[in-house]
Amino acid sequence: MNTSLRTTAYALLGAFALLIVSVIYIQAIKGPDFRDDPRNVRAIAWLTGRQRGPIISADGVVLAISTPSPSDPKLYERLYPEGSLYAHTVGFTSVLFGSRGVEQTRAADLISNRDATISGVLNGLLGGDTKPRGVRLTLRDALQTVARDALGEQRGSVIAIDPTTGAILAMVTYPSFDPNTLIGPDAGAAGEALERDEDDPLRDRAIRQTYPPGSVFKVITAASGLDTGLVSPSSEFADPVYLRLPGSESTISNYDGMVCDNGTSVTLKFAFVKSCNTVFAMLGMNLGADTLGGTAEAFGFNSEVPFEFDVLTSFFPLRGTMQDDPPATAQSAIGQRDDRATPLLMVLTVAAVANNGIMMAPYLVSEIFTSEGVVEATTEPVAWRRAMSPASAGVLADMMEQAVISGTGTRAAVPGVRIAGKTGTAETEGSAPHAWFIGFGPLGAESGDPQIAIVVIVESGGAFGESATGGTVAAPIAQRVLAAFFGVTDTR
Amino acid sequence: MTRRAEAGLIVAACLLAAIGVAIVEFTQGNWLDAQVALTFLAFAAAFGGVYLAVIRWAPGASSLLLPLAAFLTAIGFIEIYRLDSHLAALQRWWLLVAAAAGALVLWALRDAGVSVLRRYRYVILAIGIGLLLLPLLPDSWLVYGATVNGSRLWVRIDIPGASRVMSFQPGEVAKVLITIFLASYLAERAEAMSVVSRKIGPFEIPEPRHLGPVVVAAVAAFLVLVYQRDLGASLLLFGIFVGMLYIATGRSFYVITGAALVVIAGWTALVPFDHVQRRIEAWLDPFGHFSEAGYQTVQGLFAMGSGALTGSGIGLGRPDLIPAAATDFIFAAVAEEMGLAGSLAVLTGFSLLIAVGFGIALRSRERFRKYLAGGLMLVIGLQAFIIIAGVLRLMPITGLTLPFMSYGGSSLVTNMAIIALLLRVSHEERT
Repeated sequence: MNTSLRTTAYALLGAFALLIVSVIYIQAIKGPDFRDDPRNVRAIAWLTGRQRGPIISADGVVLAISTPSPSDPKLYERLYPEGSLYAHTVGFTSVLFGSRGVEQTRAADLISNRDATISGVLNGLLGGDTKPRGVRLTLRDALQTVARDALGEQRGSVIAIDPTTGAILAMVTYPSFDPNTLIGPDAGAAGEALERDEDDPLRDRAIRQTYPPGSVFKVITAASGLDTGLVSPSSEFADPVYLRLPGSESTISNYDGMVCDNGTSVTLKFAFVKSCNTVFAMLGMNLGADTLGGTAEAFGFNSEVPFEFDVLTSFFPLRGTMQDDPPATAQSAIGQRDDRATPLLMVLTVAAVANNGIMMAPYLVSEIFTSEGVVEATTEPVAWRRAMSPASAGVLADMMEQAVISGTGTRAAVPGVRIAGKTGTAETEGSAPHAWFIGFGPLGAESGDPQIAIVVIVESGGAFGESATGGTVAAPIAQRVLAAFFGVTDTR
Repeated sequence: MTRRAEAGLIVAACLLAAIGVAIVEFTQGNWLDAQVALTFLAFAAAFGGVYLAVIRWAPGASSLLLPLAAFLTAIGFIEIYRLDSHLAALQRWWLLVAAAAGALVLWALRDAGVSVLRRYRYVILAIGIGLLLLPLLPDSWLVYGATVNGSRLWVRIDIPGASRVMSFQPGEVAKVLITIFLASYLAERAEAMSVVSRKIGPFEIPEPRHLGPVVVAAVAAFLVLVYQRDLGASLLLFGIFVGMLYIATGRSFYVITGAALVVIAGWTALVPFDHVQRRIEAWLDPFGHFSEAGYQTVQGLFAMGSGALTGSGIGLGRPDLIPAAATDFIFAAVAEEMGLAGSLAVLTGFSLLIAVGFGIALRSRERFRKYLAGGLMLVIGLQAFIIIAGVLRLMPITGLTLPFMSYGGSSLVTNMAIIALLLRVSHEERT
């Protein structure tokens, strides 16, 4: 009798042992398969269904917000009301395509830290606010909109920055995409279409694409000459039709194939204003690879830019490799050959000129605020590097202003505001030239420090194609943004 | 183990429930509120009350049963609270009712002991079968049967003047009554039934007239299956019959015949009922039937798989995606949010309970008490196994509650009464 009772007990305990083995198999061994099954909506709900804090622009426009899901009151839906305008900066959180932009970099603030971890529980018990934080960006919606409209449907990007702080005021890229499509029901198809798109709309061209800088690099070459004391704006250079590079068959000529000024001699300032390649190639060779390379690196080439996101490192050929190669130095001095720059580094370059030679670290998030709207953390501007002396910066600013008044950058001029700028038309193999413009304003003691620096790059000539130059394609875009910034409505 | 240690463990279980509720409040974005205190008080009142009843009326009882029951109830309650706080509020009331029922059992048997139940054996059987058939009452009556999820095992009572209807599963109570009857019946007939009258091949066959109970068991279970379309309840009932016959006679003949009858009855039932058929299909290939019959099983697997070793954290998983998460699939919900750690704790808890329960049966000096303890433990153990095995896809899913853990008043009250009976049996061995 007790034997059968024991047998029954053992049988039942044996059955439970079977359950234990089975649950270990399901949870500890087979678990990841079940967890990652595409039909398991847990990961999706976990990533996208939680409430996240809002992201707003500097002027208070809502860029990302969580609203309670109509289908499930416990879940939230993320909405990006401005769509493609902030796709690369605000980013998105998608199950299929991961997380990008501020949505990724500030996830820790945007997601509630109320969880069942020991720290989460302790934080809550000690009265800490565990609700999701909000993020305010430095971007101004008004300026962002103008920048997008001005760039239009031309591949490229526009960045505007406050030169004295490094706060990014506008940052747009074309082509862009609507992040809402990547979190919606047809996210898979939408994302695959974007990934297949040859124009690569997912790439943030402002920071994840480098271009030959072309003539905008002359700002750095000029800075190198001024800083070393080798030249001044009035320094005289020879003015040939073309410059034969020593020890080689190659030549450098000016954009229009003509002399720069009168064919005899030309000042540095005049050559800068007219963007003459011959003069800057000579200056580059006079400076030598070491000095020019040193200045380029002072401006942040070959360095990782400290920023919210990973920025592609801009490239200037390493000093050692150009030592005995004057032709290479000459071509590098006019921003050709192997020089590569991101639009971000070029706006930092021109911002450094505007800010007495001090290059501020760029930033995109101005503050983190609590659910009650109380500001909890504010980004303090920090200087990243000293690019050039204040004196040289002042001289360079004057040369750049003249370029907008009477040189290649006249189409960037804004009536009533003193604007400085430099155009660039970067030759590229296999396509029309890239059109550049970098500039800043306002100049003049009475209006204080310059308030805005800008870069415009239009890939492969944009709407103008082969005939495009920085002055005809990029400068007018900069003009519209600058005019909007200064509240000037009539730009003629 | 001393009574003092038992009290300590019960307090620990009460705290466990309260802390669990606090964590839920917290992860759901709420501040701690009265729910935490209410939960602690309800648990303390319920298990403390039964504990006091034990000290008063069954001081010699095992001190292991109550803490284990309290632990399992606490784990289940946390998950119910996390899934639906309104259900949990009801469950708290049910817990108090269940404790009252447990105390009532201890009080009722305080002088006469469990042996008094033998006297009313046929009354008990009649009530048991009556309860079993109750869900078949037509819809127009004041007390009527109701079909939930394709199974007719509910009884509803329209309370005049109240908008709510009360519903309960009489089958939960019936199985205990039938167990009591069987223990009593077998205590008298067991020896006669174990006498071998003839042999067919390797099998020793008892007197045909003693086969009566087996036939009754088969017929009853089959009827339940056919009319109530409930695979789980009939399997459980059948298992209890067969298990108790085996315990009493020690003849594996009953087990083998029983298993054969389950297969035959099951097979016969499969053909006419879509409801059962779909469950079998869903069991064999749940992923292939994802959008229909396999959905619940797959959601359970997703939940458990996502829970992995340490779980998502209480309140941070998505057990709400599992159909019937608070009742049949409470195990999967616990496994998701508390991980393998939690599911192993639950399985260990049940295993310990089974060991303790059968220990009581083994130590019993008297036949009836032995069968009663063994049978009652079989009720809890088998029911827990059938539903968890369904969730883990070791067998087709059947609609059964997980004792102590699932939401459900009938289930909680019944299981608390079983614990009270076991407590009483263990007490009687010490006196």
